[in-house]
Order: sequence, then structure tokens, then C-alpha cells
Amino acid sequence: MNTLRLNTLQRYRPAKFKKVGSALLLLLAVFTFSLVAPSADAHDNKKIPRLANGKPDFSGIWQTTSAADYDLEPHSNRKDAPPGPGIVEGGEIPYLPKALVQRKKNFENRATDDPALKGYTLGVPRAVYYPEPFQIFQRARDLTVVPQFGHSVRTIHTNNTEHPEDPNDWWLGDSRAKWEGDTLVVDAKHFNDKTWLDRSGNFHSDALQVVERWKFLDPNTIEYKATLTDEQVFSKPWNISVILHRHREKNFQLIEDYRYTLDYDQYYPPKPDQK
Amino acid sequence: MNSNLRKRQRAFSTLILGALISASLVSVAADENVTPSAQEKKSVTKPVETAPPTQTRRPREKSFPKIASGKWTGPRLADGQPDVSGFWSNTIGNHGNLTDPQGGVIGEARRTPLGPREQRAPSRVSDPADGQFPFQPWALAKVKDFQVGFHNPTYPGHVEPNARCAPGGVPKSLYWHGYDILQYPGYVVFVFDNGSRIIHLDEKKPHLPEKLKLWNGDSRGHWEGNTLVVDVKNHNGKALFGRSGEFISENGTIQEKYIFANDGARYNYEGTFTDPTVYTRPFTITIPAIKYTKAEETDGWNLEARWAKHTGKTQILEHDERICHENNGGFGLGSAQK
Repeated sequence: MNTLRLNTLQRYRPAKFKKVGSALLLLLAVFTFSLVAPSADAHDNKKIPRLANGKPDFSGIWQTTSAADYDLEPHSNRKDAPPGPGIVEGGEIPYLPKALVQRKKNFENRATDDPALKGYTLGVPRAVYYPEPFQIFQRARDLTVVPQFGHSVRTIHTNNTEHPEDPNDWWLGDSRAKWEGDTLVVDAKHFNDKTWLDRSGNFHSDALQVVERWKFLDPNTIEYKATLTDEQVFSKPWNISVILHRHREKNFQLIEDYRYTLDYDQYYPPKPDQK
Repeated sequence: MNSNLRKRQRAFSTLILGALISASLVSVAADENVTPSAQEKKSVTKPVETAPPTQTRRPREKSFPKIASGKWTGPRLADGQPDVSGFWSNTIGNHGNLTDPQGGVIGEARRTPLGPREQRAPSRVSDPADGQFPFQPWALAKVKDFQVGFHNPTYPGHVEPNARCAPGGVPKSLYWHGYDILQYPGYVVFVFDNGSRIIHLDEKKPHLPEKLKLWNGDSRGHWEGNTLVVDVKNHNGKALFGRSGEFISENGTIQEKYIFANDGARYNYEGTFTDPTVYTRPFTITIPAIKYTKAEETDGWNLEARWAKHTGKTQILEHDERICHENNGGFGLGSAQK
């Protein structure tokens, strides 16, 4: 019998040969496994990019594929938006009754009142899920977030500094972060009340506080979660979550989008045939 | 938090904001050492003369040292780049006048007559030797028209784009407000008060398609010793060079050298502009700059920074967010509402 012969053969194989054989087998198994499950590596935290200090390195150009910016809440399709399940944990934003009236007003006037239409700074967290790429530049002391849309650049401090003692109401707030293992936890506050959370009119006051959690799912994917608190507008804190994908197209780069200049940029520079 | 307390705090920060804005307006006028231009006057909605200036500004340089391109002996970043990160600003003047940077805006009334030309900083045009832009006749006529229209605009193009918070472009961003230079493997990033400029240190990365024209252009660069060499294409020419109205067209290209002194305290910018649509020959603009390292030098123009709050021993300098367009109601007054 074949089986018997094999057993006999094995029994007489020198020990050294046996070792090499099983090593080969193991290699083959690993190779086969990696072919079958190429994403297995993705869950290996050691593979995510890291700075020299060992912290995760989020440098790169990122963008969400979600429809979050059309409306954070679940919504059917409409003339100016694709349908979407929303990204709010539990479905709906817990507005205070008075704030809900304002939110409805914003929605009705969204075609003219959305600050983004004027090229204004998107604010936090909207700049994260606005459907244009943004680039993160990272050093040990901070992350500099440059959005393609608009002109303002956000700094997230990671050098154990604290919120300033004499804050203004900033468009981007003031962001101080700490590392919890491989998760970047950002505390952002001191916002003004001039930005919207999406183009459907979800909004906040200057009492907004956003606690963000940035974490690699794999080297090319970030899970972004945020908790929004604003006692002037919401009855309780609420959570959102989106996935950000790394742009890997060859030579991909940001292209400035200073949209607020479009109303007058035709007048510059002077041309020979122009007044 | 107690809501009264919050209200009071908010009122207080509004006050501070107002004072800051007023002070920076005063600084703008003081900087040019002349009466405010028509474009400024028009936009002023309340008297600001009584607002106290924030800090004393470093005196403007009348001359500046030449820095030779050569070896870099200063500190380097882990990726080998010379470490020049930090807050920088111009030293001889702002965007009022390119060929006579300390001579005030052209065509503007002066409190005191200008002295001899050699008592002021040289033209920013370092080549040709006469310090003048080598304009083609049609372009010179446009510049003269702008210099008149600037004081009494009769056409939208007479408004200096910076007054609308348009990005300063190349090279104006380097002699407007102070700016931040950040460095990363593969990149040097400039963060200006209205926009940013990403210089890709990978010259194999092709420029964007020619059809795309940008306020800050599209930049590829590399380091040669102490010098950052940058090739700028895709510039839209819309920013103009300053209140004196000089410009390049969207066909212009710029070869830049940022030559850093080895002590890291200053650099000279030498940009060679080539644009056969507007000029008869290439010309070079030179801009000296110094690094700011102390929050105490915050002056509402060259530096607007503070010491970070933290328990560590070393002092950390940090900058507020840079916002312009959203708060622009005619040179910063009257925050834009809707």
C-alpha cells in the first residue's frame, strides 16, 4: 500500500532531511495562505507606517468615500444628494427642540446658506469627511492637516501642550492630542459658530467640543471616530464614524481649491486685449 | 460652565479680537509710513487711531547681506534636509512698492517728503541692474493704469487681490504677513495667512497638466547644499506682485533659490521670472527674510505667535490658525456675515 510505503520511507529518512522538508512545507503553507488571504497582513499592527518615535505616521493624502457630507443623518435621495445611511451612531443627531427648528431652517436654505459654498473654512469635523482629498504632514510635535478645499490649515498638537488660557473662537478650534496606544485622541474646542457640519444644515454653536479618535485599520485605511458635545445645541453627546482611504494613484497630489476667488479672478492679471 | 461667566468670557474675547484687528490695521498703515490708501480708507468703518499698537516691530533693514550658495553646515533633519523650519518674515518692507520697497505706495500722499533714493532699501528687482521691470510696452501701460486705479478703482481689476484675501502667489506671499516653513521627508510646506504652498522634493514627479493654473503655482524642488532650488509652473499670475501692480501672465515660469545662512537666522530669496508674454527678458526678484523665534516679537504682522501652554521646561512657539477670507470685511474690519 502506498501509505505503508510512505511510512516506511519516512522512517528511514535522515533527521536533517526531515527538518528541511518540514521547513519547506511550512513555507509553502505560508505562501499558500498569503495567496488565499492577502489581507491577513493588514491586521498586523507592526506594518503600519510609524515615525522615528514609534508613533503611527498618518502622513499621506486621505479621503472618505462616504456620502457623509451630503447629510450626516440617514436620508433618501434628493435632487442635490445621493441617498445615505448616515454616519451618526444610533441614527439621528439629538438636537434640543429649539436647535431642531434652526436645523430645519438651515436645510431649507442650504442652497445658499452653506458656508462651504462661499469657500469658507469647513471646520472640524467636516473637513475630514468633505468629499475632497486632504493631506496630513506629521512630525513628532504635531500633525498639519492641509485640505485641498479652502485655504486654512489645521494643526493638531501632539507635544503635550494644552489648550491656551486666552482662547478665541476659532474657525478650526484648538486641537490638542494624546496617543492612546496606536490611537490618536484629539480634544478640539474653542470653535466659533460659523461652520456647518454638512451641506444639509446640521450645525453647532461656539460651545462645540469634538473628541476625535484616529486609528489605522491597515496601512492604507484610517478609522476616524468623533464624539460631538454642544450643550447649546444637542441634548447629549453623539458619535460619528467614517473610514478614510489613502490616495495611492501614481503622482497624486493636492490641487489648490481656493474657490472663494472665483467671483473676481477673471479680472487678473491684465491682458493685452483687456481694458 | 456658568452661562453668565461664559457670556462674559465671550464678550472679552470679542474685545480682544477687536483690539487685535484694530491694532493690526494701525500697523498696516504705520508699516508703509504713509497715509492709508484709498482702498483702505473706503473700508474703514470706525475710527481706529486711538487703538494702541501691540508691539514694537523690528526696524526695517535698508540693506541686507548677500548669502552665497554653498555648503550647509547647520543642523539637518533626519531625512538630510537642512533644518530651516520655523516662522519667517521679510525684512525690508511689504507689498506696497516693488521697485522702491520703502518708498510708500506709488501715487500716495506723504506726510514727509522722501529723502534721497540711496537712503532706502534697494529695488526688489536685482536683475536688470537698473532695478526696473523689463516690461513690454502694453504691460507697462497696464501697470501704470493699475497704479492710478488703485487709489480710485473704476474697474474690478484695480483692486489689489490681497485686499480680497486672495492668495499672495509667487512671490508676494514672501513679503506679505509672516509665514511658517514646515519640512517633511519629500516636502517643504509654506503656510501663509491665506493659503499654503507645497513644494514637492521629487523632481521625477511631473508638473500638473499645463491647463491647470493655480494662485500658488505647482512647485518641484531639491536641495543643493544651503539652497532650496524650486521650479514653479502652472502659476495663474492673478495675485499680482503688490500694490504697485506688476505681474506675470499665466505663461510665466519661475526658477527660485532660497539661500539659507548657515546660522539658520536668515535667507535670501532669488527668483528668476521668465515670461515672454509680458517681459522683454527674464528678471530676478530678491527678497531677504529672517527667522522669528520669540513670542515677545509678536507684532501683528511679521509674527503672530505665542508661547504654548505646557508643563515642560522648554518654550514652544506656536501660531494661531491663519484665516483671512472669512473674516474679511475690508481689511479685516467687520467679520463677514452670510
